[in-house]
Amino acid sequence: MATIEDGLARWLTQRWGADVRVDGISESSAGARRRNVLFDAHVGDRTVGLVATILPTVEIQALDPVAEGAVRTVAEQGGVPVPHVHGATLDDSWVGGAFLVSDRIDGETIPRRVLRQAAALGHGDLVVAQLGDALARLHAIDPSLAPAGLTRPPDSAPVAAAIATVELGIESLLRPEPAFAYGLRWLRTHRPEEPARCTIVHNDARNGNLIVGPDGLRALLDWEGSRVGDPMEDLAWPQTRMWRFGADDRIVGGLGGVAPFRRGYEEAGGTWDDDRIRWWRVLSTLRWGLGLAGQAAAHLDGRFRSIVMAGSGRRVSELAYDAMMLIRP
Amino acid sequence: MQYRPDATELLNDVAALLEDRVLAAVSGPLQHQVRVAANLVRIVEREVRLAQAATAAERDRLSPFVVTSGALADTSGALADARAQLADRLLGAGPIEPDELAGIHAAIVATLREDLAISKPGYDDWTGS
Repeated sequence: MATIEDGLARWLTQRWGADVRVDGISESSAGARRRNVLFDAHVGDRTVGLVATILPTVEIQALDPVAEGAVRTVAEQGGVPVPHVHGATLDDSWVGGAFLVSDRIDGETIPRRVLRQAAALGHGDLVVAQLGDALARLHAIDPSLAPAGLTRPPDSAPVAAAIATVELGIESLLRPEPAFAYGLRWLRTHRPEEPARCTIVHNDARNGNLIVGPDGLRALLDWEGSRVGDPMEDLAWPQTRMWRFGADDRIVGGLGGVAPFRRGYEEAGGTWDDDRIRWWRVLSTLRWGLGLAGQAAAHLDGRFRSIVMAGSGRRVSELAYDAMMLIRP
Repeated sequence: MQYRPDATELLNDVAALLEDRVLAAVSGPLQHQVRVAANLVRIVEREVRLAQAATAAERDRLSPFVVTSGALADTSGALADARAQLADRLLGAGPIEPDELAGIHAAIVATLREDLAISKPGYDDWTGS
């Protein structure tokens, strides 16, 4: 750890133009591929609690730390609760990977702990209302402010792009398969118009990417998947069953109901569209099922041998079942 | 004909070994892998017991919605054919009457419930959205 400590101290010293000393380093368990290193930075007699999010290799699918830092800063300026970003770099010589440094915010992030806290304090509905508020603020941001690194749907048509993704997944992974074929047919016959306005979307604003304290939602984490898209997709994702961790009767992340989530969104100026959200819930559920099938395929064809990826294949029926419950005739 | 223990008994023994002994002896990422492996052994044990009946039931369930070919004598071949036919119908642009679509939905859900009885018992207790 001495190297990371030293690298962060040198980088912050250069960035802040003052001598910075770093200690108290520890690794957070959150983040599967990203390393989250918690540390204290001392400048003169001031101490700041910070987090370095380090990516050993920048992935093609995700935003690089500089782009992620940029979108988080745009979100913060729009009033979305995010850990303040102090800077980011793609230079991997400082700590052995590209990274961004942001404020450390105390609270629970691990889903089951978040659920335990909400059960103990009874503030789950408050948390989801605050999440609705946060997403309304994000979606209200002028999309022309979206950093250049964010992907934009071709022809401003996120609905068409999402259907194409599901079609491709079914064609390459699951054909012939009645459940997913039924789901795709429903998506086609209930296909909404393309959104009147695409916005910046977080794209993963679910239980597990929230920092929650006794006072409620403190910050939205993990912006690496953010892009430009249909804001209703952002409202659908946290409602899908896989992010309830067994607390199925609380639709939004196992934390609270749809009503407070919607109230939070609308009171902050958002326009809620039930039909579109349902459509995106079905799509997201099927797409997640295809993702699991893709993991199993990577295991089976030898690209990524892993018992965990093998097990993903046996989870596909869960997502198919969830989708079927959403689209009962 | 194998002597006992039979397949399900052996799989239960392997799962119990993984859960009761191996899990406690390992740490880090391997612990998660062992937990997953134990769960997969439990899944296979249920599959050995339940899959044959489920396959026959699914074939019967799908038969009203497809053109059955008498030539396919074996159950799994007939089922694969029925699944492919139904998937093609659903993915095609041809109309399907609401009543028939409701029947197809019910058949798919019934099959998923039998799948889940193998892969994740209890998952289908929740019937909400």
